[in-house]
Amino acid sequence: MPLETESRAQIRALIADLRPDHGDLLAALHRVQHEYGFLSREAMEVVGEQLHLFAAQVFGAASYYEEFRFDPPAAVDIRWCSGPACRARNGGGIRDAMLATLAVPMDGQTADGRVGIRLGQCIGTCELAPQIWIEERATHTNEVVGNLNAAQAVRLARALRDGATAREVLGQDVLRG
Amino acid sequence: MVSANPTGSPLERYEAMTAAAAPVYAAWRTPERPRIDVAIDTSSLANGARATRDAITAVVAQTNAAVDLGQNHGYGMQWLQPLVTVTFPDGASVVYGPITAAEATTIVDIATGRVPATSTLAVGTIAGERAGIPSLREHPFFALEPATGRRLIHRLGFTDPENMQHYLATGGYHAAARMLDRHQSPAQVRQELIDSALGGRGGGNFPAGTKWNFLATAPGDEHYVICNADEGDPGAWVNRVIMEGDPHLLVEGLLIAAYATGSRGGFIYIRDEYPLAIARMEQAVREAEAAGLLGDGILGTGVNLELRVIRGAGAYVCGEETGLISSIQDSRGMPRVKPPFPAGSGVFFKPSNVNNVETYANAPMVIEHGAQWYIEYGTERMRGTRLFSFSGDIQRVGFMEVPFGVPLAGVIDACGGMLPGQQLKAIQSGGPLGSMLPAREVPNLSMENAPFSALDALMGGGGIVFLGDQVCTIHMAEMFAQFVEEESCGRCTTCHGGNQRQTEIIRRTIAGDGRREDRHNLALVDRTLQFSNCVHGQFSPKIVRNTLRFFSDEYERHSSGRTCDALECEGLIQFRVTNQRDPQLAEAQAICPTAAIVGAPGNRSVNDALCIRCGACTDVAPNALVREAKPATPRILALS
Ligand SMILES: Cc1cc2nc3c(=O)[nH]c(=O)nc-3n(C[C@H](O)[C@H](O)[C@H](O)COP(=O)(O)O)c2cc1C
Ligand code: FES
Repeated sequence: MPLETESRAQIRALIADLRPDHGDLLAALHRVQHEYGFLSREAMEVVGEQLHLFAAQVFGAASYYEEFRFDPPAAVDIRWCSGPACRARNGGGIRDAMLATLAVPMDGQTADGRVGIRLGQCIGTCELAPQIWIEERATHTNEVVGNLNAAQAVRLARALRDGATAREVLGQDVLRG
Repeated sequence: MVSANPTGSPLERYEAMTAAAAPVYAAWRTPERPRIDVAIDTSSLANGARATRDAITAVVAQTNAAVDLGQNHGYGMQWLQPLVTVTFPDGASVVYGPITAAEATTIVDIATGRVPATSTLAVGTIAGERAGIPSLREHPFFALEPATGRRLIHRLGFTDPENMQHYLATGGYHAAARMLDRHQSPAQVRQELIDSALGGRGGGNFPAGTKWNFLATAPGDEHYVICNADEGDPGAWVNRVIMEGDPHLLVEGLLIAAYATGSRGGFIYIRDEYPLAIARMEQAVREAEAAGLLGDGILGTGVNLELRVIRGAGAYVCGEETGLISSIQDSRGMPRVKPPFPAGSGVFFKPSNVNNVETYANAPMVIEHGAQWYIEYGTERMRGTRLFSFSGDIQRVGFMEVPFGVPLAGVIDACGGMLPGQQLKAIQSGGPLGSMLPAREVPNLSMENAPFSALDALMGGGGIVFLGDQVCTIHMAEMFAQFVEEESCGRCTTCHGGNQRQTEIIRRTIAGDGRREDRHNLALVDRTLQFSNCVHGQFSPKIVRNTLRFFSDEYERHSSGRTCDALECEGLIQFRVTNQRDPQLAEAQAICPTAAIVGAPGNRSVNDALCIRCGACTDVAPNALVREAKPATPRILALS
């Protein structure tokens, strides 16, 4: 077993009550990601030790899911709704406008780690289509911004890119331009 | 918190709990002081309910108003969120919406009686009467709901979903308690389910009682009940409504299923995108345990059930039952070949039963009221009522509970028809593995499986999206093709390879490079996909197939004519400056994320190579630029 370091002990404490062969892997990964923002190699090793799985099995399972990530997340993520009601109202244009503004691909983030953009799935708030969510890591904020158009999407992405906080862009002024 | 009663028969223990809950609920229904309930659910929160609640709380504090605050779940009218309900001391409850923070003072004044309850914000009464305010049931949105009232979601608006006493006081857990009191044997419970013809609500309509029989008669005594709350179809959110609106109903449904199938363990697998549903279900499970309705020796009997909530992590095929099982079991959630079915080998390789949230949630009322009562609504083939969520380019986006078999045309009317200036073009149902049907089929469609199947379509799990005539169906088909490609688990080459091919062809077509042989190749891919091992691969070409069949002209115009009438497909459209003098043109130039609008004032133009067709320019300067069909360029065959 690798040397127990402080950081490993911390991860272990987070999942101490979880058991092997008990359907606990998803819960373990969620807890780690909630705490650290992503799944480090070290974290996956500790999860494997706790649940009696090889790290490869942990990574194999984790990498199957859209939600788990293996690199530190951006400070703010724009989650773009890919659902049909949003798509029917230029959702695709909104996506392309934001990707161009941030100069990143889908699921990428700006070089300074400030803003990322991620694929989102419909949560059934289609009355607000087309929409995105703003997710801020530090505050665990998750706010829907609905009835968006491409121009507003550009303003919002520019503001975040240039250093605005989630709270600032959620104030409607940014959207009005 | 409801605590367990240590003595008595199951029914006596249950009645002791309800006796304690009844006065609490009565005081909530007919409060001493007016109470304002802000709907707290995913829809209301997205619409700003938190700000509404904070503003109302502040106004109440500042004005020292004699009102109380509470919460409920929205009634289904999502286009009017945030919804707020005011309950007066005489028991009358009036629903108002949309109530933003700006209306906080008005709502508090209405509650205190300073201003009359009749306000332009009043939507209707759900209990009691108020002169000048119609009953909410008379709203055209609910025209198709059962005349005798809602059945499955009758608590919505009438309880606080986070208060177990409200559930108990409104008849909750009675069906389970009576059943445990030896009123019904497990076999009788299963027979009642079979007699009710309750079909699986995940889309397949497989008889739930029959499936429960498979598990009950499976070998061994370690059986599991599994609730599929993965609800991955975009546009479907009916499972979410049950879990957020009446979480104990699902717990009770699972308890009934566990008793009927001899299961001592259960899982509720909820998609990651539903944090509020996860929180409310976790709370409901904890409360039911504390009350002795879950855990060991339920209501003093020898019946045990340990229920666990599992949080998914964003994988569509984990909604397929064997994928879901493997996801619970510490592994990649890949569907596998059936048989064995879950009743033969399920979670931890033990016999299991997988049903949808809504399937389990129907069980308490079947057991409470009996199969005969249950089948009063619905059609010969599909009994009862079901929840549907309606979205897209309609006036009223929301959910309702309707008997199976109501006409689709009636649904469109209930939803207020299409948005101004739009005509219905397509109906998208059944999610990404479902279908896309043209408006002309509306007269042939009713809300049950058969008329959809007759058109090679799928009604599916409850989500219906109405698309207006500004939508390009080829563009939509591309979206779904990409979805099924990305969500393929990768086990079958037919599926992951076939879906890549399908997406490439459609994508090339919308880029303006359709080829004559595409139709033939799509048909080949379609046939190949049908040889995939699970339904994901088998059904993944359905939407494209529907599109080629029902929107054949539109497809041909894209492929051979190279035109997109809806002006959506990137390769077939362009943006052009039409008014150099429009003052907003400068703004358009500034907003363009790719700096595609070039040139000095008076001489601006769109650089087509830079333009990504996002539409930001026409958003800010609708009269200075147009989105238009790209002029046909003569296609020169290069001779190499
Ligand atoms: C790719 C795929 C995704 C599915 N997703 C769901 C889902 O999100 N919810 C659901 O209840 N059933 C889903 N199903 C159907 C399930 O496999 C299963 O048939 C269903 O949960 C059985 O429950 P029912 O009989 O109560 O409908 C899906 C099937 C496939 C092939
Ligand atoms: S399609 Fe975007 S919220 Fe439903």
